[in-house]
Amino acid sequence: MVESAKPVPPIWCPGCGDFGVLAALKKAALEMKVATHDLVLVGGIGCSGSIHNFLEINGIHALHGRLLAQAIGVKLANPALTVIAAGGDGDGYAIGMGHFMHAFKKNASIVYIAMNNETYGLTKGQASPTSQIGFEGNIERPFDAILTALSIPAPNLIARTFSGDPKTMISVLVEALKFQKEGRGFAFIEDLSPCVTYNDTYKLWREKVLDVSKVEGYDPTDRKAMFRICLETMEAGRIPIGIMHRPKESMREGLESKLLGDAAGPARSDISLEPNMGAYQKLLAGIA
Amino acid sequence: MTTPAAKTTPIPEMSGAAAPRTPPQLSDVSVMIGGQGGDGTLTVSDLLGRYFRKRGLYVYLSRNVLSRIRGGHADASVRGSRAAVAAVKTEVDVLVAFDKEAIEIGKGELAAHGYILYDSTTFQVDLPNATGFPFATLVGGPLGQPIFKNTAAYGALSVIFGFDPTETRAVIEERFKRRGGEALEKNLKALEIGRKAALETPGLADRFSIADGDAHDFIMTTGNQAAAMGFVVGGGRFFAGYPITPATEIMEYLQRYLPAFHGVVRQAEDELAAVNMIIGASYAGARVMTSTSGPGLSLMTEGIGHAGAAEIPIVIADCQRVGPSTGQPTRHEQSDLSHLANLGHGEFPRFILAPGTPEECFLLTAEALNLAERWRLPVILLLDEALCQNATTSRRFELDKVHIDRGERLTGEAAAALTQYKAYAFSESGRSAYAPPGTPGIWAEITGNEHDEWGHVNVNPTNRVRMMKKRMEKMVKARDELPSANHFGSTDAKIGIIAFGSTIGPVREAHGLLTAKGTAVQILQPRTLFPVPVHEIDPFLKSVDVCYVIEHNYTGQFARLLRETMPWHHTKLRSLTKYDGTNFRAPQVVAGIQGGP
Repeated sequence: MVESAKPVPPIWCPGCGDFGVLAALKKAALEMKVATHDLVLVGGIGCSGSIHNFLEINGIHALHGRLLAQAIGVKLANPALTVIAAGGDGDGYAIGMGHFMHAFKKNASIVYIAMNNETYGLTKGQASPTSQIGFEGNIERPFDAILTALSIPAPNLIARTFSGDPKTMISVLVEALKFQKEGRGFAFIEDLSPCVTYNDTYKLWREKVLDVSKVEGYDPTDRKAMFRICLETMEAGRIPIGIMHRPKESMREGLESKLLGDAAGPARSDISLEPNMGAYQKLLAGIA
Repeated sequence: MTTPAAKTTPIPEMSGAAAPRTPPQLSDVSVMIGGQGGDGTLTVSDLLGRYFRKRGLYVYLSRNVLSRIRGGHADASVRGSRAAVAAVKTEVDVLVAFDKEAIEIGKGELAAHGYILYDSTTFQVDLPNATGFPFATLVGGPLGQPIFKNTAAYGALSVIFGFDPTETRAVIEERFKRRGGEALEKNLKALEIGRKAALETPGLADRFSIADGDAHDFIMTTGNQAAAMGFVVGGGRFFAGYPITPATEIMEYLQRYLPAFHGVVRQAEDELAAVNMIIGASYAGARVMTSTSGPGLSLMTEGIGHAGAAEIPIVIADCQRVGPSTGQPTRHEQSDLSHLANLGHGEFPRFILAPGTPEECFLLTAEALNLAERWRLPVILLLDEALCQNATTSRRFELDKVHIDRGERLTGEAAAALTQYKAYAFSESGRSAYAPPGTPGIWAEITGNEHDEWGHVNVNPTNRVRMMKKRMEKMVKARDELPSANHFGSTDAKIGIIAFGSTIGPVREAHGLLTAKGTAVQILQPRTLFPVPVHEIDPFLKSVDVCYVIEHNYTGQFARLLRETMPWHHTKLRSLTKYDGTNFRAPQVVAGIQGGP
């Protein structure tokens, strides 16, 4: 047994919602029986983005906002890897917003967990894109990632979970990991993960969350219905959680499949000269 | 008879009126073609270039286009020479004008014997050395579209230069065979229309003749195409980029080339995504590259620094254009060097390689991939607009000059034999072995945070110093592996010239002109610009009394870098710079040097 990098103790405050995600990730990975060496976690910047340090895993710490671009690069280079991107709401919805929107459209088979605490915790509690009006003097309306995700017509898996409800979180994570394993595309999970120090929303969110699967007309394959359900839930002062979108057909729609089919991918290609010589000669003969 | 007679200024005879004259033979010919974007000026230069190549001439194609799809004036020039030139010729022998602006721009560059051929469909020119044909009307009738006027102009040129009719036609067949059918047929007709019009105009045929050259076993290509091929052959399998002039063609070529090798090319949503996608793919174990120009480079800067800190191998081709800001997207400059040498916040190692010809673009791109992976850092290929986009004759690319060296990359077997795997292990060589994710039985933490050997975040001052040294000393330890400089001329010469990138083309031509005038110079073309190859440049500067550093920017960026690294040569260094958006021509180099210190 080769000694590899070992997990270090989390830097999070006691009670942080991110512990819920950490625990759920361990359970889901165990259930999916992914080998440690095939599991890649791309972390963002912020408290949540340090999660890869606390797991026995291939961890890569991305730049602020760029975790999705890096995670998609990993997956396209080696589709056999299980790739999870994990970061916070500032990382994903502010500085990384461009990549966030395009990740749905690209639809590479990775799992993205955005831990939303409605604040920038690591820099000590500034307003984030999801902060409510009035929080730290915020006068801008909060951004809703689920409605945005639903507005992009791509065959993604879209869900929202709550760190106060670990059971649901594990089942959603397992579904997301299966989704990516089957090469179906992008699985986005927004986890409501309270910051106990700067925005302790446990009590409030426990009261407000509403499992959308219990709402009449719930059908995650019907984008229009889900958009309406989410909007109405929000208008009623509640926070919709659960699976928000799941494509009807279980097709291999992942970007990596479209680009590579069953090929091993750029990272596992034999790039030595000898086996490629014939093809290279042909390539060079293309310029006269 | 359908003799075109819209405008035929009598052509002044060049020699005696009666006797059959011998047309002046040109061994270095330049034709400039100007018109509105969409007039097909580039097609005419391409056709002429193909013909010149059949005659064994070295060919250099350049273009002056605007950043717009259609309309606006655009011109192209084609040069054919018996000498191995890689620069625009100063004097134009024949100017083909599809619009009035071409006359305004081109007439000042016309040689004394120069000649103007213009499309008289929409405008008239009253110059003694100009002949107008209504090309658009001539082809518009029989072929239904005036667009074929460019091929008709090529036909008229073939008469003026006394081209062999069969070979002239063969060029059209080559050029349009892929499109075949109607396109080929109509272009052949347009060719005949142009030829007939010129033949029926007294005194136009055989104004000049073209010398034959011996450059037969050559290819015609651009630096962008060469870099794309070098990437594939060098084992590059993942490319992400964002469209930007003049870098886009690298991505477009790779979109054509890479799928056959199960490679991936992605057009990203922006340059931030492009550089981070290649970082992810490289981390996963692929050989990667992105290409961009100034504005994109600015956006990629944070990512490049991240690759430097996290020790992730990436290659960035910077196709320089006029900056700052949007600058002049289609124009030539070499003004990103200072930025690249100091790139990013904090300090991290990087290599900057500067090929000067397409062949060097091919080889150095492949080598950049080796260097990046061996030393686990960002390598920048510093290209420039003229190198990227001007097509030129080049020696054939040789596969046996390429090798693949992945450094201390761990295979599954080697990894299994380890007792420990630390992705940032300290070592004598300064390099650490790397195993991409998916290597059975091992895993790692990779981060741009300061870290220990395991990749764990670490703020210990002692560790910080060791890690900084580990990374920064790569620039010292790799010295002998970096591409070496080219030297031209006699080592006895007391005047030195240092030039890099495509500037080496006009500089080498100027070398010939200076030698003919009895001025001895020696030239150094560094192909690694950063870290500054002091071991090559210091002896060179010691051997000369004065050295001109010739570059396309305002502040003399490379000269400043040389002064900074070798202050003892301060008084020997002179800057010869150009920043008007066009590249040096040989006589400008000569004038700059003879103007003297």
